[in-house]
Amino acid sequence: MACKACTPRLAPAAPRSTFRALLLTLPIAVWSLLMFFHPGVNTDPKSRIAATVTAVFMTVLFFMMMRTGKTYRWRRYFFVTLGFLFPVGFIYNLILVRGTMGIPIEEMIAGRTPFCFLPIPLLILPAALTKTIIFPGSITASRYAIAGMMGLWLAITLVLGKGWCAYACFFGGIEEGMAAVPKRARIRKIDPRLRYLPWAVLLATMLLSLALFDSVYCTWLCPFKAVTEYVTARSTIGIIQNGVFILLFAALVVVLPLLTKKRTQCSFLCPFGAFQSIFNKISAFEVKIDRTRCKSCGVCQNACPNFSLSKESIAQGETLLSCMKCGACVDACPHQAAVWHIKGTELAWKPERARLMFLYAAWAAAVMFGGSIIAQGLVTILHFLA
Amino acid sequence: MTMRAKLGYTAAALTMLAALLTPFLLIGSFAKGFAALGLHVDEMYSGGPKLRTVQNGTYSITIHKPVSPHMFQSGKPFVQLDWSPASALPQHVSDVVDVDGDGQPDIRVVFDVPRNPKAPLRVNVESLNPRYDAMQNAGKDKFSRLIARVDNAILVRVPLANQ
Repeated sequence: MACKACTPRLAPAAPRSTFRALLLTLPIAVWSLLMFFHPGVNTDPKSRIAATVTAVFMTVLFFMMMRTGKTYRWRRYFFVTLGFLFPVGFIYNLILVRGTMGIPIEEMIAGRTPFCFLPIPLLILPAALTKTIIFPGSITASRYAIAGMMGLWLAITLVLGKGWCAYACFFGGIEEGMAAVPKRARIRKIDPRLRYLPWAVLLATMLLSLALFDSVYCTWLCPFKAVTEYVTARSTIGIIQNGVFILLFAALVVVLPLLTKKRTQCSFLCPFGAFQSIFNKISAFEVKIDRTRCKSCGVCQNACPNFSLSKESIAQGETLLSCMKCGACVDACPHQAAVWHIKGTELAWKPERARLMFLYAAWAAAVMFGGSIIAQGLVTILHFLA
Repeated sequence: MTMRAKLGYTAAALTMLAALLTPFLLIGSFAKGFAALGLHVDEMYSGGPKLRTVQNGTYSITIHKPVSPHMFQSGKPFVQLDWSPASALPQHVSDVVDVDGDGQPDIRVVFDVPRNPKAPLRVNVESLNPRYDAMQNAGKDKFSRLIARVDNAILVRVPLANQ
């Protein structure tokens, strides 16, 4: 018989005391202050107000995670805010600098296109074979240039792995917001084979990008061009491209999330998400299913916004490679069978410790990266209000 | 605690450390490492390295190395010429340029420089060497065939004839 100390512990069923939750939140509060108020940043009043609001917002959400023991709901508040405020700040800056959301050919030639992380996997083959970056930016001209953004992506990926898609991706927040609107899904039966589509898109776009020497996903498939910078419609092809962007955005980011309560763009299209899944292999953190507690009720499978659980994977006690560690299944499981886990440790052995360690790392990255984007969006709104 | 568990906790602790070091050390280090790889932006966008500059009174013409498309990349091979500074250009430019540096004129480039920097540009290129294609009233058609104002320079990309 196992001793009491060796008995696997459950995630806290009851909320923590306010005092303990405050204590656990203290490091994040200090981190937020450090990120938003270090010397040299936020010198004007609007930026200071935006920074204060963002720091408080991020700290309160973390406190609620600690207090309630739930992750998904509070993370979602942050993530949806990030998704909706990113275009606000970004489009405003584009219009301020260029006067348009379209990318003029002059800006591409000058290498002033801000680098986006979505085409990263498509750049690998041309860069490896010809040392050429197929993106109309510059390598080092600014912090939004290719080297700076690659540095940012590498560092955050090291911390979050596929968790990027739940704590850093400013595009995913829009569809997660849409998926949160309806109380129930209207479309419930979705062919599980569709979850392999992003891998197919990844493979196809990587090979096509090498052959055509063009970031094919950005040129033809990216739904988020509809809310960031689109291709200037100089020709019929440009008009068709913009039509495809708007159609994909409407279908995969707005309509289908409303009907399915799932992140359909991430689940069925995004090649970057598929690529990012690979980094789950090197991440220390994962979500697992404790088979001794699991009643195979399927609640976790329904709760997962990303189709990262299947009957087969649940039977094996695993999540699929695409798991973005959002915590939806852990929070939803009525039997506390879905647990946070540190690789190498015994299953369900102090899962709350694993959750805490992951959340500290993930939230630190979220405050640093997503928080700055939220603050930028707030500055833009304050600018208009003033 | 097993060795595997110890390794797991070590990796988890290192992940937390990496999160703390991200804004102060990791982003900068990774960015420097990436920049040190010696990669370059596709010349179809950048126009290729500069070969030489010809002074022409108050302005100069910079001639770039010819750029060829990769594999199935759209567009023709081209050579880029920069007229700069745009502010020193006359209202009407008509220059004969020795592009390949063999002492013989290769193309005649004619364009107007509107005072409004946002006004559309049009260029005519007369081919004096069969290696270069002529262009009539070209604007910003393609990366391999255009005239565009970029900062304080006017860029003309002349397509090379199929060999």
